[in-house]
Amino acid sequence: MNTECVAMLLAGGQGSRLGDLTINNAKPAVLFGGKYRIIDFPLSNCMNSDIDVVGVLTQYRPYILNNYIGDGSAWALDQIQGGAHILPPYMGQKGGKWYSGTADAIYQNIDFIDNFNPEFVLVLSGDHIYKMDYSKMLCFHKAKQADLSIAVMDVPWEDAHRFGIVNTDEEERIQAFQEKPAIPKSNKASMGIYVFSWEILKKALQEDAGNRESEHDFGNDVIPMLYESNKRIYAYPYSGYWRDVGTIQSYFDANMDLLDPYCEFDLTDRNFRIFSNNISRHPQFIGPEAKISNSLICDGCIVCGQVEHSILSHDVRIHRHNILKNVIVHTGAIIEDGAILENCILGGRARIKGDVRLIADELESVPQIHVINS
Amino acid sequence: MKNAIGLILNIDCEDPSLKEFLQHRSLSTLPFGGRYRLIDFTLSNMVNSGLSHIGVIGSNKYNSLVDHLGTGKEWSLSRKTQDLSILAGANSGRLGHKMKVNLKDLQNNRDFLETASGEHVIISPPNHITSFDYRNAYEIHSQNNSDVTLIYKKDDSTYHLHDDDIYLDLYNKRVSSIYYKKEQQTNYFFTEMLIIKKSILIQFLDLCECTGDWDLMDMIAINLDTLRVFSAEHTGYLKRIKTLENYMKASMDLLEYDIMRELFLEKASIHTKIKDNHPSIYRDSSSVSHSIVGSGCNIDGTIFHSIIFRDIIMGSDSQIKNSIIMQKCKIGNHVTLDYVVMDKDTKISDYTTLIGKPHDPIIIKKGTVI
Repeated sequence: MNTECVAMLLAGGQGSRLGDLTINNAKPAVLFGGKYRIIDFPLSNCMNSDIDVVGVLTQYRPYILNNYIGDGSAWALDQIQGGAHILPPYMGQKGGKWYSGTADAIYQNIDFIDNFNPEFVLVLSGDHIYKMDYSKMLCFHKAKQADLSIAVMDVPWEDAHRFGIVNTDEEERIQAFQEKPAIPKSNKASMGIYVFSWEILKKALQEDAGNRESEHDFGNDVIPMLYESNKRIYAYPYSGYWRDVGTIQSYFDANMDLLDPYCEFDLTDRNFRIFSNNISRHPQFIGPEAKISNSLICDGCIVCGQVEHSILSHDVRIHRHNILKNVIVHTGAIIEDGAILENCILGGRARIKGDVRLIADELESVPQIHVINS
Repeated sequence: MKNAIGLILNIDCEDPSLKEFLQHRSLSTLPFGGRYRLIDFTLSNMVNSGLSHIGVIGSNKYNSLVDHLGTGKEWSLSRKTQDLSILAGANSGRLGHKMKVNLKDLQNNRDFLETASGEHVIISPPNHITSFDYRNAYEIHSQNNSDVTLIYKKDDSTYHLHDDDIYLDLYNKRVSSIYYKKEQQTNYFFTEMLIIKKSILIQFLDLCECTGDWDLMDMIAINLDTLRVFSAEHTGYLKRIKTLENYMKASMDLLEYDIMRELFLEKASIHTKIKDNHPSIYRDSSSVSHSIVGSGCNIDGTIFHSIIFRDIIMGSDSQIKNSIIMQKCKIGNHVTLDYVVMDKDTKISDYTTLIGKPHDPIIIKKGTVI
């Protein structure tokens, strides 16, 4: 079997900074924007880029994620050759071990990739919200005859210290790396999206696996090693909406971006759709006393109260005399008569009693976000 | 229910009030309730009752039916153990009273009936709005070793009865007579859903082959003395869609919480074709109340007491009241609609006002631009 490019999606992370949202659930399977899960974004990008082999590397709390991906048909990945493959750590004759780093996860699945005999491997992570046509990046990689291409985007200078920063020459070839630098030399940040030539990557992974001092991480170990050995590493410039949703605040903000009519990230664009494993629910029932503005609401919801600037996932019940403002409500949560909530994230099946008052303190410049779990 | 197969009939609706909606589609695929087609209710009820082999007889407007049902995946009917067959109907040339179950339709699909495993056939029309579990009726059918079990409903004034309705006389659950014109002694009207032994049905088909067109109901009525015909009651909500008036009433019934709950929340769910829509977006100046809204909408206006299907775009300063807006309609800015039924893919330009009457809504045909 010959496939030009295989995508490997790193989806094993716990996402510990998302706290209560990832108690039972891997970060890529956390709900986003009502009906979506974070992993929908890279998977839909693959679909929109005509990439039809995707290995999904899972490790932490994989049940919901595995169940959600299923046979991959939601992203048209249920074809005869290729498709979505869930790749958990496994045992072999010489034992087995957990994935100890991002590079190790790929290293342990060299056989899987070799099955497809690809020329290129696209490494993605399952925790970013963005739309990107990877086929354009692949063209760039081929045009530059690169060994490795890293997608980069310009970030505000004041934020640059939070990212992996690259310096490039006029040809976009990378001249220096700085991981979270105190004094950044540029504002081109790595987005954690890599295209490798498979032959080069395979050798590098095998070498890295033998290195006892390595943490087997792409950013810290494998890419610096390739750079040291003078491989052709290029920066693929991307511009557009891209958010890391690794913390409660960034998760909250990125959700709220969807409600901003001027935000460049457009869920309604039919030419680049975000697909998800849809569930069948009855249409929304909006009660006689309901008042809804500036919100996203999914099928299966019954809304009888006031909802303002909020996002409701499937099957949410909002009883009467409620006020919700800046609230993200996950699947199946119930808010009883009379509750008033501001700046909250309600976990799946949370039940809020009618006497609950969570009102933002106007004196706080950045209001605190309450996370209420079921 | 392993021993039964489902058969959903085709109805050629000739009622002029629905003509505009049925030019390109069969009655079974008339959009309903914000995201469904009429047939979704019967098909889901059959699947939810545990039927694994279901045949759907198509009309001459196959396109919408095949497009909607596909492989039956959304109803779990695309498995090695469960399947959906889309069957060819017969063209009935017979005039006079409309047939309930044209045996010619079944004759055409004898192969399906004979090869599908199951000794009983559950037959239903495609235009019922109900959440119904066939298992109770099937149990009565099995316990009484019935040849035929007719599912009836007690007639009270809330039901929309039609001229061609069939009534039953019952004696200890057994059906003692079947007739068309309502007479005083009975309150039981036949819901057009029935269970029949396959062997009896095949016998009827043999007979029919020699003697021409037959309605299954006539055949049962004539042979009532020799057959074991029992009855099972349908107790919940049931609306049969045959006219625009029925359609409007049943649609607006969904805005009553108790009816909506019975249809969608209490029992197993009603399935339909799934679309990859974004959640519906309610913009800053939107105000929506007492309505059903599908996914993928982009709403910036006032909506009251209406059924809004999937993928509707509605501009600002517009008002929709007492209306049904089917999928993919676009409504401009400063538009006022009251008692309007818009078929799919229609467009209303800015500053348009359309006001219909409660019993005479304005109908906008599929694909129209106003």
